[in-house]
Amino acid sequence: MPFSLSTPKDPAEAFRLLVAGRPGETALLAGGTALLRDLDEGQNHATHLISLRKLPWNRHAWKGEALEIGSTEPLRTLENDPLVRARLPGLHQAIEAVGSVALRHRATLGGNLGRASPASDLIPVLLALEALVNLRSPRGQRVVDIEQFIISSRQTAREPDELIESVSIPRALPSAYVWQRVRPSNDISQVGVAVALGPPPGRWRVALGGVSPRPVRLPEAEEALVSRRPSEAEVELAAQAAARHAPFVTDRRATEGYRRRLVTTLVRRAVRSTAEHRARRAGPKGGR
Amino acid sequence: MTAPPTITLTVNGRTLECRRVPDDERLLDTLRWRLGLKGTKEGCRTGDCGACTVLVDGESVLSCLALTHTVEGSSLVTVEGIAAEPLGKAVVAAFQAEGAVQCGYCTPGFVVALTGLLKERGPKASREEILAALSGNLCRCTGYSPIIRATERLLEKHR
Repeated sequence: MPFSLSTPKDPAEAFRLLVAGRPGETALLAGGTALLRDLDEGQNHATHLISLRKLPWNRHAWKGEALEIGSTEPLRTLENDPLVRARLPGLHQAIEAVGSVALRHRATLGGNLGRASPASDLIPVLLALEALVNLRSPRGQRVVDIEQFIISSRQTAREPDELIESVSIPRALPSAYVWQRVRPSNDISQVGVAVALGPPPGRWRVALGGVSPRPVRLPEAEEALVSRRPSEAEVELAAQAAARHAPFVTDRRATEGYRRRLVTTLVRRAVRSTAEHRARRAGPKGGR
Repeated sequence: MTAPPTITLTVNGRTLECRRVPDDERLLDTLRWRLGLKGTKEGCRTGDCGACTVLVDGESVLSCLALTHTVEGSSLVTVEGIAAEPLGKAVVAAFQAEGAVQCGYCTPGFVVALTGLLKERGPKASREEILAALSGNLCRCTGYSPIIRATERLLEKHR
């Protein structure tokens, strides 16, 4: 289907176009790497695209240990910020898992979030880091917890007149994102596990992707982990809890049973990687 | 309101005006069919194979997943212009020296992606960074070994 394109120069113009457009016929273009594919494959039937690429949202900024990521900032720019790797290793690993370098020069966090794919590699780590989504509309601004923002597969809490302006990550945290795929690169994860530690010390967050209908936090696995340096037994309990409670289904990428076996290994790896990262940052006096 | 139909692009150092560009035209099609630069290949058109990789303002981009209107005013380098860049010239020479070309269909994408990485990271990019950057390029002749050898040869020169 042919489509038309508008490229607003400022948010006010973008909102005028957004409000004038009919839902279902209008789509938002950020990096375009997923949208153009969706249009080609008939997953999206929009006949009018609004490009967000000229809006002043292609930037990210640190405020102390908090990170605010503009919705149209290319993923590769975040990946190239050494502070992202040092302070939010899980986010860095998740970004590296998205497509290829050339794809990440265009793909954006806002685009990935707005599309809300259950196989997203970025949403699990945003859940584990308890990110906040900053939405803007002609009515004003509002902040939605990532947990409430993602509703279901390709369904978010964004209202038709709203745009994702940025995503805030409140604090730097030891974290990890690990995944399994048929091919290691340029493929979609069968299961992805994101883990973040603290605050308070010893409080773990565990989130999963490759589940149905949306990435989820897993409180049962989180409760099994009670210390900053969890024992083998704790990690094992968390891994088993994840296998028992994760909402896995069988699809063309993997069977439910395979995913349940996979998640135990991935939870062990993610928790160990995070505990080691914390120990390194805390230094020799880090203690338990 | 739709995008202005005439757009300006700098392609391999030449500034060009493209007229009556439809809003939904892909950069890949502009290069191949409008400008006749058929070195840039169409492989999958879904962003999986890397054969259509070009440099947009120095960064590797999949031209099948970029609308031409979204690169308006940018400076593009395709495989036809890559050897005019010192790093691109070195990449081409390394590919020739190692015979890193089989059927050749994927070669423009590999050469452009590698040149882009060397521009981005400097010629001292790590082996891991290079392998990661090339992971988005598929060679269906499976001629990966000479491609990786060509890359290593290039790195050795800069050590």
